Amino acid sequence: MDAAGKLRHWATVAVFVGPFLGMLILFQYVPVVAMLRDSLYDFSLLNPDRRSFVALGNYLTLLEDPDRQQAFLVTFVFAFGVVATVIPVSFAIAIYLNGRLPARAIVRTVVFLPVVTSVVVIATMWTFLLDPSNGLINNALATLGLPRGEYLTSKSQALPSIIVMMLWQQTGFATVLFLSGLQGIPRDLEDAARVDGCGPWQRVRFVVIPLLARTTVFVVVIMTVFSLQAFAPSLVMTGGGPEGTTNFVAYDIYALAFQLQMPGLASAVSVVFMVIVLTISLIQMRVLRAKGAE
Amino acid sequence: MKRVLHYAAGAAILAVILSIFLAPYAWIVASSFKQHFAIFRDLKPISWATFFPADPTIDNFVHLFVNRGIGRALVNSAIVSSCQVLGTLALCALAAYGLTRIRFRGSNVVFALVLMTFLLPIESLMVPLYMHVTNLGFADTLVGVFIPWIASPFGLFMLRQAFEEIPRELDEAARIDGAGHFRIFWSIILPNVRTPLATLALVTFLFSWNAFLWPLVILHSPRNHVIQLAIAQSVSIAQLPNWGETFAGATIATVPLIVLFLFLQRYFVRGIALTGVKG
Repeated sequence: MDAAGKLRHWATVAVFVGPFLGMLILFQYVPVVAMLRDSLYDFSLLNPDRRSFVALGNYLTLLEDPDRQQAFLVTFVFAFGVVATVIPVSFAIAIYLNGRLPARAIVRTVVFLPVVTSVVVIATMWTFLLDPSNGLINNALATLGLPRGEYLTSKSQALPSIIVMMLWQQTGFATVLFLSGLQGIPRDLEDAARVDGCGPWQRVRFVVIPLLARTTVFVVVIMTVFSLQAFAPSLVMTGGGPEGTTNFVAYDIYALAFQLQMPGLASAVSVVFMVIVLTISLIQMRVLRAKGAE
Repeated sequence: MKRVLHYAAGAAILAVILSIFLAPYAWIVASSFKQHFAIFRDLKPISWATFFPADPTIDNFVHLFVNRGIGRALVNSAIVSSCQVLGTLALCALAAYGLTRIRFRGSNVVFALVLMTFLLPIESLMVPLYMHVTNLGFADTLVGVFIPWIASPFGLFMLRQAFEEIPRELDEAARIDGAGHFRIFWSIILPNVRTPLATLALVTFLFSWNAFLWPLVILHSPRNHVIQLAIAQSVSIAQLPNWGETFAGATIATVPLIVLFLFLQRYFVRGIALTGVKG
């Protein structure tokens, strides 16, 4: 290729790939580098140019600060709670939907509705559903003669209430993923098991579950990452309370930076959070790959 | 007999699933057409009246549009979402063509850079991104809301897959006829990826319309608020929320998406299942 041809080649490449690459670097890579730098400084968002270098000071603060540790703990407990409930529920619904039952299409649509509804609307909806005196849930319990709950206002019930909300929201998504996994299982295998005298439970236990291992790990990864990033429930429903029991890390970062004007500390929390989320996803993806290779 | 039991159990399961998922929507939508006192009256005890406005009124909606500027928020959301869809489609389609149809040194590096951002939790980037976008002069503007997200790694990934599936014989034939890259991109490739483009457009629209954290961070003045911010504000813990109005706002924000979803369900489910790849 001559010089002019080379130039034209690279000009074409630049036109096709350049805009995307430029925006990606500008809005993803530059902020990551900026975040690493900012986590070493003490400053405020009102006057970001007046900053003092504190080296690892923000990270040391983070290590000693019980509120930050609680935020991480709450977020992990939340993610664990969501995964532990979404997986069995959505698996059961997927098995149900995979059978030859009437109204399958309607159920699939209805279960998926919360997935296309915004987190803000869902958090709003559930704030009112869970309202201790005028909420739908307590009034339904009262109508049935059952005891009422305190939900978001109680230290012990707030986080479980939000886990139930997340279960309600994410079930449809996980169900669709399981369902596509189930549809990939050849009918012959189930038929063969039936011929060998396996009942429906045994078919699920010995045929379906082993074949869905890959899908399951995949759903676990997605649900973990989704729940680790929860933000709207804290802001809309509880303000992180009562006593920090629903103070998720994403909300903690937001509050530290934009309300308490400590973006340096918020950046340090972000760095630690990013490393943890990346590590968890990488480990889970390795497991996924190992399972896939079987 | 066994058959009857089987059907009865099936119907019972169906009824439980449907009511758990539909009752909250029914309550919200029905209550948005009720007066304040009627919402509370119809809750005690729960009956059909809880989920049906016996004496419907549109006062809540009128009040939202007249006094709370929800119309403005809807228009802002529509602008942001449309621009984000157009920007994402343009950038991702161009880049997907470049990565699948042009051989150049460094294309692996480009793709690796894209793949690495898949795992970045954007929530952790909000602080530096806020300062960065502010420095670029986009704070408190609608452009600032969508501009950081149009280089979507998910979109590129999805379109790249679709472009790979188009037989290369098509481009070869066009090249022999003297067509350049732009001609091939526009007249050969794009017409063959209509379904993936539509899926990407829908999913991007959904994410953009429902986005909350980033608009909250970057927008300050009420006249720039998008619909999700308007709703979140009406529930804020600081003030006593007006139930009817909040429900009306939630209804307005949700119904368009649900209608869209009901008509285009196939694309939605496929597209959202694909976003799983991002995990």
